[in-house]
Amino acid sequence: MRVLSHITRLLISCICGLAFTQQVLAERMVTDLSSHVIEITSKFSGTELLIFGAIERAITKSGGGQNIVVEGIDYDIIVVVQSERNDMIIRRKEMIGPIWANKGHKTLKSVQGYYAVTTTRPLDQILSREQSKLLGAAIDQIKINFDEPVSEIEERAYREGFIRNMKAKKLYSQQEGTISVLDDILFRAILAFPANMPVGNYQVDVHLVRDGEVILSEQSSLEVGKIGLERIIYSFAHDHPAFYGIVAIIVALFAGWLGGFLTNRMGK
Amino acid sequence: MQIYLPIAEMSINIFLLLLMGGGVGFLSGMFGVGGGFLMTPLLIFVGIPPAVAVATEANQITAASVSGALAHGRRGGIDYKMGFVLIIGGAVGSYFGSMLFTILKATGQVDLMISLAYVLFLGAIGGMMFVESVRSILRNRRGDNPPVGRRPRTWVDALPLKMRFRASKMYVSVLLPLAIGGLVGVLAAIMGVGGGFIMVPAMIYLLNMPIKVVIGTSLFQITFVTAAVTFLHSVNTQTVDVMLALILLIGAVIGAQIGARFGIKLKGEQLRILLAILVLAVCGKMAVDLVSMPDEIYSVSQTGKIH
Repeated sequence: MRVLSHITRLLISCICGLAFTQQVLAERMVTDLSSHVIEITSKFSGTELLIFGAIERAITKSGGGQNIVVEGIDYDIIVVVQSERNDMIIRRKEMIGPIWANKGHKTLKSVQGYYAVTTTRPLDQILSREQSKLLGAAIDQIKINFDEPVSEIEERAYREGFIRNMKAKKLYSQQEGTISVLDDILFRAILAFPANMPVGNYQVDVHLVRDGEVILSEQSSLEVGKIGLERIIYSFAHDHPAFYGIVAIIVALFAGWLGGFLTNRMGK
Repeated sequence: MQIYLPIAEMSINIFLLLLMGGGVGFLSGMFGVGGGFLMTPLLIFVGIPPAVAVATEANQITAASVSGALAHGRRGGIDYKMGFVLIIGGAVGSYFGSMLFTILKATGQVDLMISLAYVLFLGAIGGMMFVESVRSILRNRRGDNPPVGRRPRTWVDALPLKMRFRASKMYVSVLLPLAIGGLVGVLAAIMGVGGGFIMVPAMIYLLNMPIKVVIGTSLFQITFVTAAVTFLHSVNTQTVDVMLALILLIGAVIGAQIGARFGIKLKGEQLRILLAILVLAVCGKMAVDLVSMPDEIYSVSQTGKIH
């Protein structure tokens, strides 16, 4: 009896599953990055990352009768790339006597050091208001938490100052309408990273949007690290600072001596 | 060609750095000065974080002064006893300077302190040099000779704890060289300068040391004190960029050679007026930057470990 009930249950769930796939249009999206690792070497002066993919429209095997891909409604893509979150300090200069000096400061809890969003069309045309709120992809929607209570006016001023700063450093960017979609199937987005990009793990989200709603999201990861001499020097300086200091002195003494030695030779 | 500096964490044109090293090296070869007080502001002007500029420049000065110190040592141009007294003062001074630097870096005021220190010192030194060299030119025109001979007894001779310095043939209080060394140590830590521009006049006019040991002893002290500063900044703030220091050094070594040949062709007073004008120009630029409204009043930085 128990075996029989198991089989019936299995059968029922299979039938239901089939019916489900036939009713709902199930697009598939495949995405990838031109590189999953960005290496900061001594020649690093910023880089570009290509995010590409394909949209696959599910057409049912039974002959296309259930195919409800609506002609005339295009797909839109939203790509969001963000780095790990870290605490940051924002300072504000004020006039003290005749001099501009840092006076106010706030600690921002857990904010992205890099944030880029790029889309096929302006965000407000792609997403409904609710969806836009839900996704929170626009730079203006980035959550910025202060470590202490801040008045509303201050919060807005610091927030705007922060975003302006990050945009000026090219660490935050929002480019709408720069993703190109080919034949409603292939898409490609190019994102620029400046030389001062933070290291660590990055998260790349690709959202497929149709008719104002996000219907699919794909996530992949990207690793940014210093390699070679850059990495050695950087981690040496931070992990063994005393030893690094001594080596810096020895290198300087030797280089200085060598320089003097060579100039004497040339002089003679 | 861009190069990525591992500690400054920025990408910069390597030829620009070589040119800066060469230019400052040229001037230091021509004028016989260390060049730290020109290089640090230049690094800041091209966008190197001020804290990194100061710490790295200290490291570069270690390299720039060692071969000179060795050469003077071989010629007997160093008063080692005096040198050690100056180094002890310098070590204490750089320790406190580095502490101040670390605290101010954590509170976001280090850039302001560096600028203020530069405006103050460059203004004072440049102004004095300018007045002094104009005076001496006028004196030469009139044909007067500056007074020669030993200076008269002053407050310096009244200080306690006297010590004999054989190489300099002096018997003076250790307090004065300790204080001079200490001041130079503080300046090295907070400004990234060797401090020769203070120490050399102080040794000549205050201590009355014989000229032949002044430069060597000063270079001897600078090598050790900037090494101490390099160490302290490496440990406290991780701001020493070895790669940057080496690139600057390469430029400086070449520039100094060319500068030294030019320097011989120019008269002393003319040189000093030129240097004074240069110093005042750098000072003026820094002062203008301090008082003019910044393009962006907000600045963002990573949180250090210290709050």
